[in-house]
Amino acid sequence: MSTLRLFSRLILRPLLREPIRTALTLFAVALGVAVVVAIDLAGQAAAGSFHSSIESLTGKTDLITSSTGGLNEHLLAELSQLPYPFDIAPRIEDFASVEGKGEAVPFIGLDLIGHHIAQFDEQNPEQAAMLLAAPNPVWVGSRLRLQPGATVHLLINDVLRPYTVAGVLKPQPGEIGEQNVIVADIGLAQLVTGKTGKLDTLDVRIPAGESIEHWRQVLAANVPTSVDVEPQGARTDENRKMLSAFRWNLRVLSYIALVVGAFLIYNTISVSVVRRRNEIGVLRALGATRGFIAVGFLAEALFFALAGSAAGLVLGRLMAIGAVALIGRTVQSLYVSSEPSPIQLTFESAATGVTLGVVNSLLAALAPAVEAAYVAPVEAMARGREEYNAARRSRTIIWYALLMLAAGGVLSQLPAFHGQPLAAYLAVLLLIAGTAAAIPTIVSLFSRFATHGIQRLFGTEAMLGLRSLRASLGRTSVLTAALTTAVAMTASVGIMVGSFRETVAVWMDNQLKADFYLRPAGSSSADRHPTMAASIADRIAQLPDVAAVDRFRAYPISYQGLPATLAGGESTTSTHFLPGENASAILRAWPTGDYAVVSEPFANKHNIKVGGIVTLPLAGAKRSFKVLGIYYDYSTERGYVILARRTLLKYLPDTASSNLAVILKPGVDAAAIRQAIDNIIAGRAVLVFANSDLRRGAIEIFDRTFRITYALEAVAISVAVMGIAGALLAMVIDRRREFALLRFLGAGQPQVRAIILCEAGLLGLLSNVIGLILGSALSLILIFVINKQSFGWTFQFHWPVGMLLSALSVVYAATVLAALYPAHTALRMNPIEVIHEA
Amino acid sequence: MISPNSVRYPEGDPHLSFLMAILEARSVAKVYQTEGSPVTALAGVSLKVEPGQFIALVGRSGCGKSTLLNLCGAMDFPSTGEILIDGQSTSTLTDSQLTHLRRQKVGFIFQSFQLLHTLTAIENVELPLLLAHQPNARQTAAERLRWVEMGELANRYPHQVSGGQQQRIAIARALAHNPRLLLADEPTGNLDTTTGDLVLDLLRRTATQFSVAVIMATHSVESASIVDRVVRMRDGRIGA
Repeated sequence: MSTLRLFSRLILRPLLREPIRTALTLFAVALGVAVVVAIDLAGQAAAGSFHSSIESLTGKTDLITSSTGGLNEHLLAELSQLPYPFDIAPRIEDFASVEGKGEAVPFIGLDLIGHHIAQFDEQNPEQAAMLLAAPNPVWVGSRLRLQPGATVHLLINDVLRPYTVAGVLKPQPGEIGEQNVIVADIGLAQLVTGKTGKLDTLDVRIPAGESIEHWRQVLAANVPTSVDVEPQGARTDENRKMLSAFRWNLRVLSYIALVVGAFLIYNTISVSVVRRRNEIGVLRALGATRGFIAVGFLAEALFFALAGSAAGLVLGRLMAIGAVALIGRTVQSLYVSSEPSPIQLTFESAATGVTLGVVNSLLAALAPAVEAAYVAPVEAMARGREEYNAARRSRTIIWYALLMLAAGGVLSQLPAFHGQPLAAYLAVLLLIAGTAAAIPTIVSLFSRFATHGIQRLFGTEAMLGLRSLRASLGRTSVLTAALTTAVAMTASVGIMVGSFRETVAVWMDNQLKADFYLRPAGSSSADRHPTMAASIADRIAQLPDVAAVDRFRAYPISYQGLPATLAGGESTTSTHFLPGENASAILRAWPTGDYAVVSEPFANKHNIKVGGIVTLPLAGAKRSFKVLGIYYDYSTERGYVILARRTLLKYLPDTASSNLAVILKPGVDAAAIRQAIDNIIAGRAVLVFANSDLRRGAIEIFDRTFRITYALEAVAISVAVMGIAGALLAMVIDRRREFALLRFLGAGQPQVRAIILCEAGLLGLLSNVIGLILGSALSLILIFVINKQSFGWTFQFHWPVGMLLSALSVVYAATVLAALYPAHTALRMNPIEVIHEA
Repeated sequence: MISPNSVRYPEGDPHLSFLMAILEARSVAKVYQTEGSPVTALAGVSLKVEPGQFIALVGRSGCGKSTLLNLCGAMDFPSTGEILIDGQSTSTLTDSQLTHLRRQKVGFIFQSFQLLHTLTAIENVELPLLLAHQPNARQTAAERLRWVEMGELANRYPHQVSGGQQQRIAIARALAHNPRLLLADEPTGNLDTTTGDLVLDLLRRTATQFSVAVIMATHSVESASIVDRVVRMRDGRIGA
């Protein structure tokens, strides 16, 4: 009880006396925690939905058999005749766009007649028969908001057909997958998806008694070697594994806001210690132990941490809504079709957020709290002596700073650990810490050498502001470090994204040489490859002004436990191979046998070199393909294995195409050809893109995928600026006698305001410059180490000058604006009252 | 020690300033509005101070000494009456005009020295010159420090010198811009007797050598013995 009373009087009451500063610090902590929680929740939601629709519809399945290009439906009969009590259910899996618009939803074909599925139970067998007899009957999930009996047009591949809504699936408690799915009888599904005679999977329920692995081996022994037999959830695990690098990188970005918050907590507690030196002395004289003093200040940090984290959880839950939307589209574009599952603030997520917030704050407060514990009772240290000592300490700390920077440089060269660039993350942390430690020295040197220049360029007030910056080194260097960290993050991510964008733009210039591109209508995704009828390509190729039509067919596959794409193409003249590879020799040999070219992400993920072998289960056997070349590809992180079209057709003889590239003869009328193509595809849901449209669309997708990173940068900057506003307010209050004295010495109100604003402006300027230099160094690690180890891509370094200038200008302006209220506060104080304060 | 002639006053021969009072307070009153009843800090005070005079305002705490000093220093306005500094009434001036007036004509010295602890001695002294955008601020500040015999400690911080030395630095700062009026609020209040006497002697020399009018607020009758005139105050009035 007495502890609580002491906490209330010594810690809480002083904080409540400065509501604005306390609120700003709390909000900065809350925002840092909110970002971490939001990214975590959004990542879970984005990754959590892969399996839900299937499992909840078909019930628990133990094993799944599948094969690239589909299973021969005779396999069902063969497996059913095995002397084992398997329960085998065939399935077709595809996607459909409702009315040809919007996101595609899963389109599932199930054996509704042969298999009991609770969702489709009808008490009346006649009713059941009537439903199945309706034209193209489908059952829809409740979120599609369709009524039984309604007619709905679904786009599957390149055909838009009418279907009859036979029923709405009954929702099961706790399950969500069946709310956004369309189910048809398997016969209809085979027909409309163009998979007649084929099945996508056979779902197997095993008998009790033996393990899943036992039955997996039994089944594997009775199917062709090109058929995979996997436990339920393996595909989900693959998708999750693929997403893990993406999620980890987002998580690390979100932690930057926490790091910035740590600087601000350090500053807040340091300010507390300085202000209360007399109190500390009195308490020690009254019998308080060193431990009591240290715990008291840690308790203040804990207050900020707990209150801030609680607010951060609520804020994070709200922010997760926006984050899911941003992340979901990125996942869709670059990785896999999925509908995000509902956001759930689980105990685990909440505990992680609060723990990170608390640990971060306590660690940040440790040094000033321990320092407070060693204030001698009789020692009345003037603030000047403390700042003087801070300046002296900086001469020692610089060596530690250089050591950290060097260690960061070394760590950045180390390879990935279990596929994660952990050494590179640590290198980033060391570079940030080393730079922060070097800031007092940098500020001192800048002040020493730039004073005359500053005065000449900007006047006496600016020079006095610079002098104040140097004079309050202990505090201002922490604020500078906080803002520098946020600026560095903005700059490094901005350079990384700018480099990526420029690389993609150059790559598209090289890669996209055709005049028109065609693909089936509907939304696109990294793992969905709807097809167009083969006749479309044939008819376009016969047009007199068409030089060539390159057909491309893609299949999603799994390779070494990660999703990838197998494709067949016709021409790779525009493919940009890695340096040192002979493109013409590759292209000559490629169609002549079982040869493949692979994309750079695929090669890096699976450690494939030129001359290596990629073995794929196709057409009843394991087929080996020699890798002739590795090419740059930025369309997806999944990775491509591309065979010559004729080679692919040997094993998967489906002549439909996923997309077409139409190359015109020189000098022809492109508009007329476009019209001719439109005539050919009339009645089919096929999109035609001109070269420029495709590039524009690709860049739009690119920009959209990075919106989440821009949002995280904005949060980090906001945390820093808010913290600086609070810290400047505290500084102004602490230096009120100084400002009052200036008024006595002849300073006008505009001068006092100008000194404070100049101090903030110089703080912003230093932060921007140091942040830009640090950010550039970090961007090298991001581009050439973290990105390479996480995603397998090579970027060319590029300075996005416009973006950097505008971002840094915003930061600078925000910093100066943050000083307006503190300046106003300083001027509101009556100098006579202040100067005579005890 | 620097000769008084090297401290240049821009307004010509200081002896001529005897012709006009540097400070005149005419029936000045100051009433503060508080949450309860209004508080009268000064009630009809009149005072005239000539250049070169050293005046002591003596009285107990709360008698209005500091209030009168603040009004004389153009830091505040009287509720009624008028304050004229070098013939100029402060009541009619705007805030920026008052600031300008202080820059040119008024210097302050405080009981607790009020040096900026994060600046060195010379940086403290040159502060008013920098605020006034005066050229050669560093050189002038060095001269002032030498005059108060603190030249060798120019690069020390306040916490590195004694209380008496701090007050001497504060005096150098107050004289940096060649004021005509020096206002000292309990300048020896935080000093021991010996050091306090040294500071009083310095103030005496300031008044005599530079013809600066010095008004010192003090509750110590003993420290008033060095002055030209003692003005006793009680309950906001001048009187016995």
